[in-house]
Amino acid sequence: MSGLRQWPPTIALALALAIAAPRAAFAQEPPAAGGDAAGTRREESVPPARSIPPGAKPAKHSKMCGVCHSDIRVKYEKGVHKSEGVPCTSCHGGDANSITVAGAHGAGFRGKPARKSIPALCASCHADVAKMRFYNLPSDQYALYQLSYHGMRLAKGDESVAVCIDCHGVHEIRKPDDPQSRVFGRNIPGTCGHCHGDPDFRRRHGLKDDPVKDYEAGVHGKAYLSGQDPSAPECTRCHGSHGATPPGVGDVEKVCGQCHLKTRNYFLASPHKDAMDQAGQPECAACHNSHKTVAVPPEKFAESCLECHDKGDKEYKVALALSRMKDDASAQIDKADKLVAEAAAIPLYVEDYRSRLQDARTALLEAAPVTHSLDTLLVEPHTRRARSIAARVSEELHEKLASRWWNKVGLGLFWFYLLLTAVIVTRARRRAAGERGR
Amino acid sequence: MEPKQDDKKSFLGWVEARVNLTEIVSFLSVFGLLPAELDSKKPLREAIRGAMTQSLPSYARWPRVLGILSFLLFGFLAVTGMMLAFYYQPTSEQAYASVTLIARDVAFGTLIHQIHYWSAALLLIFLGARVVRFFFQGLYARGREIVWIAAVLSFVAAAITDLTGRLLPWDAPGYWTTVRAREVTDALPILGPITSFLVGGSTLDSMVLTRYYLLHVAIFPMILLVLFYLHFSSVRRVGMSHVVAVKANRSLRVAMYDMLLLVIFMVGGLMTLAVLFPQPFDVPADPFKTPPDARPPWYLLAPYALMEGLSFLPKFIRGLIPEAILAAVIALPFLDRESGSGGTRRLFRYAGIALLAIWGLLTWAGWFMEVRR
Repeated sequence: MSGLRQWPPTIALALALAIAAPRAAFAQEPPAAGGDAAGTRREESVPPARSIPPGAKPAKHSKMCGVCHSDIRVKYEKGVHKSEGVPCTSCHGGDANSITVAGAHGAGFRGKPARKSIPALCASCHADVAKMRFYNLPSDQYALYQLSYHGMRLAKGDESVAVCIDCHGVHEIRKPDDPQSRVFGRNIPGTCGHCHGDPDFRRRHGLKDDPVKDYEAGVHGKAYLSGQDPSAPECTRCHGSHGATPPGVGDVEKVCGQCHLKTRNYFLASPHKDAMDQAGQPECAACHNSHKTVAVPPEKFAESCLECHDKGDKEYKVALALSRMKDDASAQIDKADKLVAEAAAIPLYVEDYRSRLQDARTALLEAAPVTHSLDTLLVEPHTRRARSIAARVSEELHEKLASRWWNKVGLGLFWFYLLLTAVIVTRARRRAAGERGR
Repeated sequence: MEPKQDDKKSFLGWVEARVNLTEIVSFLSVFGLLPAELDSKKPLREAIRGAMTQSLPSYARWPRVLGILSFLLFGFLAVTGMMLAFYYQPTSEQAYASVTLIARDVAFGTLIHQIHYWSAALLLIFLGARVVRFFFQGLYARGREIVWIAAVLSFVAAAITDLTGRLLPWDAPGYWTTVRAREVTDALPILGPITSFLVGGSTLDSMVLTRYYLLHVAIFPMILLVLFYLHFSSVRRVGMSHVVAVKANRSLRVAMYDMLLLVIFMVGGLMTLAVLFPQPFDVPADPFKTPPDARPPWYLLAPYALMEGLSFLPKFIRGLIPEAILAAVIALPFLDRESGSGGTRRLFRYAGIALLAIWGLLTWAGWFMEVRR
């Protein structure tokens, strides 16, 4: 009963709350919401697609230009200049706050900047250390550009070369770490290829090969573009970006040596370095190609030397000796590999042999950079190590696999016993059948 | 139970006074091990002595040997299977490691594993051959319907046991064979959903492995055992194959010697296969790496070829074809009511030959079928 008596006040309270709550909400919201909406509409003649946070600079600057140049505004708003508040007027001049075309395109209006003037225009901010340091951006791009092949040709009046906007975009300038950016790592071959892969461009400059196609077919391109090895180079890792220039004949090893350190050191110590520079051979690229980079396959190793050396030469004999060392080692490893697979199918314990063969492969891999020294005495320890590990593994596995012979001996003994039993059973059976016959 | 004066002192007599040994032996004998009937009212020795004098068809001799050979192989599979089960662990993490342990470290582990493998392969061949023999000798005619159905179903049950066993090592060939087999069974209209229910989904994971294990070691061997019992007890009622003239009658003693010889040569054969033709041990299963030669086991190759080759037909129809064939084979005694070798019988025989030829061709096609996905 007491429980029932307590119900009415509870219900009344709940009802009161239910009625009061929406009212309270209405009492707060309408004036504020109405005021905001009206204010926004008055300030902006274009209805906003989304709300702009108060005090956002880009909206203020670009708003009037975008009234007429809406297509450009769409591109601009995707870029980093919009998010960092660099207005249209900083490149194009004029007055962004004017509401007439004459006023906007009035005093100080530059219009579309001349192609030749673009690097200097971008540099007006990007070469300014004081402006760039807050973004932790380098400010030497303009200096590098002026030294680059592009920059030098531009200075001579060739306007067909790449200027800033050709790689970075015009209005839609994205950060390099934005995957949609044209200068994002994997997009770089396409960006460079826009000109350097173009058949007309190559005809004008008398270039035979398509460097981008070659790059995609080479080991670097395959490794990088497939995402298999993000440390493999794209175009700019070898040629530079702002200071883009092809490495000269004597500088190829420096470029390749950025990553292939050991190989470079052995190459520098080899007789090839001076001989190639004198003969005008492009060092690493002489054997490995430039854009279509290849690892020289073992079976073509000695063959590739014949491009410069004759068969009777002393140098060719060294090549043959180097080739034989590697071939012997890898043949021995292959042989051991087959035995390991055979043993694993039984199965025997092969984990130890597998890891030892891994050592052998590592030793053979270590021989690769050393080969660039062209010194058989330096290469030999590595290939010998690979060969001897593999040979030892083969030998031990042979012994183990040979012990399977005993299985067959056991089977033979088993059959002997079975046949003996069968003979006894047959005799007993005949006797039983005979007894029955009688 | 009259007390035996002469057996009182012997152990057998002591047991005999308490347990009906004759009944037990009689029950066991129904599995084809002892074709003679035992009088379960008599004590064991006396009953056997009585059975020894009975005349028997030479049952452990070709071609009637297939049934008893199958049962012996089943016994081998049970014993080696139990030995393997001492070490095997049915989880996807441990299965491969435990099979490796069996094959590498356990004494005679490889041998037992290989004998288990070869027994299963031979069991399927013998059970299949038995069905074919029954068909061509007309051993499904009036009165032998149950024998025929039990023979066909025991082949099916053995095939399922074999199929579920292939997944257990969790190695690449076994795993991918099972995947391909599931593609076939999932397409079957009625049996497909039942299979899915039994194994719990079409993704092969640890839970499914446990189900496969249970189906492999308990449920289907049990069904197979029941079918064997049904077969041998029916044979006792309707007689051994009546079309083959029973030339010589044998005593039970001679029949037991025949059986002993059979066991000797079977053990020899299994040992030879296991030692000279061992199944290679493969890499562990990787669900993300399909080996190029992944195909279902041989008895599912023909339905597989139908599934993949007739892709223009709706899946339901494609699945219905093998099911209809199986149903027709089971229902054969009721379709072919004629006894003797009249015109209808000859017609059925030709149809059987045609079906076997087509099945063989489809199997061949299934083996070389490459699935592109």
